Amino acid sequence: MVTPPWRINEVLDRAQNGPICLEGDFDLKLLVPELQRVVKEYDICFDPIIPVPQDNTLADSLWKAAMDLYLEVGTLCTDTHRRILFTEDEIKEALGNFPGKFTLGFGRDSKEISCRKIEDTQRPFCLFSPDITCDEDLFVPMSMAYLQEPLADGVCAPILDEIEGMPIRSGFPSEVKGSVAHAMMFREAARRVGRPGIFLKSVGTAESDAAQIAASNPEWGERLTDGRFVASVTELKVDNSLLNKMVHFHTYGCFVGSLAGPIMGGYAGGPEGTAVVGVAYHLMGLLVNQAHFMNYFPFHLKHTCNTMRQLLWVISITYQALSRNSNLVSMSNGFAAAGPCTQMVLNEAAAHALVSVVSGANLWEMAVAKNKVKNYATPMEARMAAEVGCGAANEKISRVDANEIVLALLKTYEENIEDAPLGKNFRECYDVRRIKPSDDYMTLYGKTRRELDDIGVPFIY
Amino acid sequence: MTMESLFEALKRSLEEYEPDKAKEIAQELITVHQVDPLKVIDDVLSPTMEEIGEKFDRMDIFLPELMGAAEAMQAATSILTEYIRKSTTQRLERKAKVVLGTVHGDIHEIGKNIVKIMLEVSGFEVFDLGKDVPSIQFIEKANEVNADVIALSALMTTTMMSQKEVIELLEALGKRDNYLVIIGGAPTTASWQEEIGADGWAETAVGAAKLATKLLEERAK
Repeated sequence: MVTPPWRINEVLDRAQNGPICLEGDFDLKLLVPELQRVVKEYDICFDPIIPVPQDNTLADSLWKAAMDLYLEVGTLCTDTHRRILFTEDEIKEALGNFPGKFTLGFGRDSKEISCRKIEDTQRPFCLFSPDITCDEDLFVPMSMAYLQEPLADGVCAPILDEIEGMPIRSGFPSEVKGSVAHAMMFREAARRVGRPGIFLKSVGTAESDAAQIAASNPEWGERLTDGRFVASVTELKVDNSLLNKMVHFHTYGCFVGSLAGPIMGGYAGGPEGTAVVGVAYHLMGLLVNQAHFMNYFPFHLKHTCNTMRQLLWVISITYQALSRNSNLVSMSNGFAAAGPCTQMVLNEAAAHALVSVVSGANLWEMAVAKNKVKNYATPMEARMAAEVGCGAANEKISRVDANEIVLALLKTYEENIEDAPLGKNFRECYDVRRIKPSDDYMTLYGKTRRELDDIGVPFIY
Repeated sequence: MTMESLFEALKRSLEEYEPDKAKEIAQELITVHQVDPLKVIDDVLSPTMEEIGEKFDRMDIFLPELMGAAEAMQAATSILTEYIRKSTTQRLERKAKVVLGTVHGDIHEIGKNIVKIMLEVSGFEVFDLGKDVPSIQFIEKANEVNADVIALSALMTTTMMSQKEVIELLEALGKRDNYLVIIGGAPTTASWQEEIGADGWAETAVGAAKLATKLLEERAK
């Protein structure tokens, strides 16, 4: 098992010499009609009363629809206007050579991540992440707050948008400087909590390829045991900057993740099309980004969250399709509408984790407050998700049971998604000096946990 | 068919995303029934598209449907405007021009593309510069086409600064008063608009089109 990477030069060659296609034509004349065709042909249907579907045939149809779509459409490189296409045999070869598990981090703190099956009793890998920008002075304490969470198998740091008083701008020298500082401070934070070998996902501050490359250094920066991301351009597109990152990460030798965030309401259309694109993104992640693991965050175009009924269905059926038909490793990334220190965000975290884990996902938790507001995230939301996710595996929760619990959870917050409460920011929720959650948040957490327990939400302890 | 039933059919052609039918009906309305093309735009196309835009805003329909409706509207409009141009009795009002793009360093453009559709169906002439657009290019293009509005989209906190940069460049070049500058994108807010001195901020694509219209009306007073 040598992959990933699968065949780097093939991808680079096709990005230079594949069939020419302009971006507008790719979106509107190729992707949209092909997507509408496969949704109809494979009879992919969303049922609002079953956010956790239990129909294996539907999951398999979704896999076939996504495979069909990806074979027809491929990935567009927007810089060269070339489509990167693969044959069915090539996709099978890449899938067949995928090991299905990796050890992330090093030494005592390392953890294994693997593909999970539907209703799997194997504990999910739990990555804790604020997924948001923070003030420079909060970077280390906030990172430490996440790193010290006992259920965190890996951590992603907050994002810097300022360094030494300079605003960080993508593509500017300030971004290189900020990204190097990010990598250094994150490692320092991991050592300070006594988990120097924990798997670190970095560098979120670096949007550009140059800034990512600048942060690779085994002595003070990104190590070979850490993970880095190659994103995509909505939908199913890449550009040279993203391919630069892919080549660099693989030649450097670290773990590579692929970001996949199909947008419901955008080119992907409704929940059915979003799920098809979601599975196709996993194929793209394997073949183009040549990733070891995926980060999957389908989200709503308007509300930029994924805890509403349609998106929970998308997440569930995507993971069921992947689990039944591949051994790809993927983390389900929650995006909540409400902000920290609200009961709503904890209920959303529980729903997202439960749906994901029962359907075969690992966890990446969690962006909150619609992923828009600086300093608005704490480890408490991720803690809730991880406690529920691990509990679901522990207690062998079935899809049928999960569906009932999720319907009960949705009743508590679904109508409030549009005007979700912002909650409190990290400084208001944590004693920053001592890196401890506030009494208010601990009280709310305990009360919410008891109420969730009463409606059957599983907890690890 | 009567004029009323043709109006109804034209509305349906937008709702059912049928550009060929929209074109055909528009043609019949002006040649057979000799309806004033501006009446067709004002009484049928604009209100229908507004309804469709609101449906999209509520997410009752999705982007492919919105684009389909916009295509049907543009097909009908092309017939109508051609007729107006040929007519000696009517004169087309100059369309307000918007230079639009996602700012430097930012490759996200789905939101910007939706704004483009909403601006076009609201009657604007849009010059879409695409994504990752260097700040100076917005200004060069605005000068070149004599634009009324510069619309700047940013999806990341690390690219929002480019919105500010465009305004700073406009000021430094003494051209700030030549254009209305509106901004949008997930991390942007009304307070950011105020901080950087933009003329307006919209949270949604439908909101962006309404904002541009409102600001231009205010400026015309």
